[in-house]
Amino acid sequence: MNTHSNWPEWIYVGVVVALLIYVGAEAWNIERIIEHIPSDAEIIQVTGQQWFWTFEHEDGTKEIGELHLKKDHAYKFEVVSKDVIHSFNIHDYVVLVDAVPGRVNTVWFSPDESGEFDIQCREYCGLIHYNMRAKLYVDDDKS
Amino acid sequence: MLIFVISPINFSFALDDDPGKYLNRKAEIWNLFYRMMTVAFVIGSVVSGTLIWLVWRFRESNHKAKKTRYEEQGKW
Amino acid sequence: MTLEIQKPRPIWKIMFSTHHTDVGLLYLITSLAALFMGGTLALAIRLELFLPGSQFVSDSMTFNRMFTVHGTTLIFLFILPFASAVGNYLVPIMVRYKDMAYPKLNAIAYWMIPPAFALIWLGFADFTWNAYAPYSVTRAPGPAADMWIFGLKLLGISSILGAINFIVTILKCKHPDLPLSKMPLLAWSYLTSSLIMLVAMPTFAAALLMLLTDRLGLSGFFNPSMGGDPIAYQHLFWFTFHPEVYVLVIPAIGFMYDIIPRFSRKPIFSHVSGIAAFVLLSIVGFASWAHHMYATGMSFTEKTVFMIGTLSAVPASAMHVFNFLATMWGGRIKFTTPMMWAVGGIALFFSAGAGGVVNSAMPLDFMTHDSYWVVGHFHLFVMGTIAFGSFGFLYYIFPYVTGRLYNEKLGKIHFVMSFIGTVMVFFTQHILGLYGMPRRIYDYPPIPEWIAMNQFITIGAMIIGIGMAIFLINIIYSSGKGKEANMDDPWNVGREKYYYPYQSKTPHH
Repeated sequence: MNTHSNWPEWIYVGVVVALLIYVGAEAWNIERIIEHIPSDAEIIQVTGQQWFWTFEHEDGTKEIGELHLKKDHAYKFEVVSKDVIHSFNIHDYVVLVDAVPGRVNTVWFSPDESGEFDIQCREYCGLIHYNMRAKLYVDDDKS
Repeated sequence: MLIFVISPINFSFALDDDPGKYLNRKAEIWNLFYRMMTVAFVIGSVVSGTLIWLVWRFRESNHKAKKTRYEEQGKW
Repeated sequence: MTLEIQKPRPIWKIMFSTHHTDVGLLYLITSLAALFMGGTLALAIRLELFLPGSQFVSDSMTFNRMFTVHGTTLIFLFILPFASAVGNYLVPIMVRYKDMAYPKLNAIAYWMIPPAFALIWLGFADFTWNAYAPYSVTRAPGPAADMWIFGLKLLGISSILGAINFIVTILKCKHPDLPLSKMPLLAWSYLTSSLIMLVAMPTFAAALLMLLTDRLGLSGFFNPSMGGDPIAYQHLFWFTFHPEVYVLVIPAIGFMYDIIPRFSRKPIFSHVSGIAAFVLLSIVGFASWAHHMYATGMSFTEKTVFMIGTLSAVPASAMHVFNFLATMWGGRIKFTTPMMWAVGGIALFFSAGAGGVVNSAMPLDFMTHDSYWVVGHFHLFVMGTIAFGSFGFLYYIFPYVTGRLYNEKLGKIHFVMSFIGTVMVFFTQHILGLYGMPRRIYDYPPIPEWIAMNQFITIGAMIIGIGMAIFLINIIYSSGKGKEANMDDPWNVGREKYYYPYQSKTPHH
C-alpha cells in the first residue's frame, strides 16, 4: 500500500523539532534573565482582595487603589491574597503574577517611563472582577 | 564543548547589580515575542501558502487536473 | 440501488433503543441542541461587549453565569457528545461488529447527559468552567455551583463509560480479519482518545468530589483557611483537562482523515504515521498540563519541565498537518461542503498550534495569560479545528444518518460565513489580548483600541451566528424534505461504495 518513500516527512519532522528547540531555548534564556531579581530592589507588599488592591511600601506607607513608584528604581512585588485567587497585572510593563491565598508570589520590574498606567486583575474573582483596577503612577526621580 | 555551555550560564548568573541600570523587562519580553512572531509568520506563510497552492492546483476544475492513479486502478 | 427510506418510527422506539445508531442519533441531537444554546450565549456575550458599559445584560453576575455556561455547554455538551455520536454510528461499522460491545451501557452513558444538561442550565453557575478554588469553595453562590458540580460529575461518569465501551468494542469486538494496523484512522482516533479519557478523567472526578465536600465544609482540601492548597485543585483540574484537549481534538483529526482522502480521490498519504501521531499525542499529552499555571508562582524548574512537555506534543500535531497536505498533493480534489470544512479546519488548526507554541514560551505568559489572547487561541482550537471538523463530518454522514442529501449551496454558505467570522473573531482576539484586555470581564474601560476591536469581533460573531442559522435551517429542512441521496456515492466522487453502507443502520433486534 505504501509504495512511496517517507523521507519528506522525516525532513519535515526534523525541521519542526529544530524550530521547537530554538523556541524552547530562547524562552528558557529570557525567563532565566528576567527572573534574576536585583539585590537592591525595594519590596512592595501587594494584597489582593475582593475587589481592590492594597500596596504597602518598605517604609510602611499604605496605598489603596493606587501605587506611586519612582522611575528607574527596581521594585519587587510580594503578592498575596486575602480571599480568592486574583492576578496582579500591570500590562504596560508586562508584570503578571497570581495572588494566591496562602502563598507569597514575587515578581519584579523597573519602570523606565514616567506616567500613569493601569493595574488590573486578570484572574476571575467574582462579581466585580471586571472593575478590580488600580492606577500606577511613575514619577521622575529628581530628588 | 562543556565550556561553551557553561560559560554563558556563569556569565549571566553573575550579572552585576549595578544600581540604576536594571534589566528592561518589558523590552526583553516584547523582543522575545517579536522573534517568536517572526518564526511563526515565516512558517505560517510557508504552510498556508502550500495549502492555498494545493487547493488551487489540485481542485478538480483546474485544467491540469487529471485522474489520480488510484482512480484509474479503481482501488482506494 | 435506489434507496428505501425507512418508515418513521415513533420517538420512544428511538429513545429506548440500545442500537448503536439510535444512541448515536440521540447523541447527535443533544449535541446540536447544546451547540445552538451555547452559541446563543456566545452571541449575547459578544453583544454585551460591543460597547463599554452595560448594554442589555443588567449586572455582572448574569454575565459571569453566561460565559460559564457557554463554556461548559460547548465543551461538554456539544463537542464531546458530537464525537460520541459519530463514534456510535461508525466505530462498530469500522471494526465490523454488529453493535457496540455493551449496548445497554452505551444507552446509560447517553442518558446521563440530559440530567447533566438540565443541572448545568438550571443552575447557571458563575465560577467559569475551571471552577478554580478557593472562589468555587468559599464564594461561588449555591445551589448553582453545586448543581454544576453534580452535572459535571454525571458527565464525567458518562464519558468514562463511553470510553470503556469504545475501547472494548475496538480491541475485543474487531473482526478477526481486520488487523489493528489496517483499521481506519477514524477508529484509531476513537481508540486513542478513549484511552486518554480513561486515564485522565478520574482525576477530575476526584477533584469534583473534593470540591463538593469542601463546599459543604466537611473538608478543606482546597480551602486555604483550613490549611488546604488552591493550587492543588488547579493541578488536578489541568491534569484532566489538558489531556482532555486532545480528547476533543483527536476525533476531529480523525474526521478529517476520513474526509480528505475521499474527496482528494487518493488514499491517505501515510496510514502508519497517522497512527504513530495519534499514539504519540496521547502519551505526550500528559506531560504538559501545568503550562496553564505558569502565573501561579511556579518555580523556574517546574516551568521549564512543562514547557518542554508542551513543546514535545507539537511534532505529533505537525505530522497530522503534513499527512493532510501530502494526501491532497497530487489528488483531484472535489470541493464539496465536507471537504471545505476539513481544509478550513486544517488551516485554523495550524494557526492555533502556532499560537500554542508561542504561548508555551514561559516569559510570553506574562503578556498572554488570562487575556483575550488565550481566548482567541483556544477558540481557534475548539471552534476553528474541532467544530470545523465536526461540521464537516456532520455534512459527511448526513446521507448516512438521514438517507437524504443536505443542500450543498447552503452548506457552502455556512462554511464561508463561519470561516470569515472565525478569522475575524479569534485572530482579532489575539491582538486584543496583546493590548491587555483580560478575559471574563463584563465591562471594560473606554480605551479606543479595545472598543474598536471589540466591535469588529462582535460583527464577526454575528456573521458566524447567521451562518449557524442557515445551517440549522439546512439540516432541519434537508433531513425531512431533502433530495434522496445516492447511497452508493452521494457526492459523485467515483468510488464504488459509500464507505458506510446504509443497510447497517437497520436495527437487528
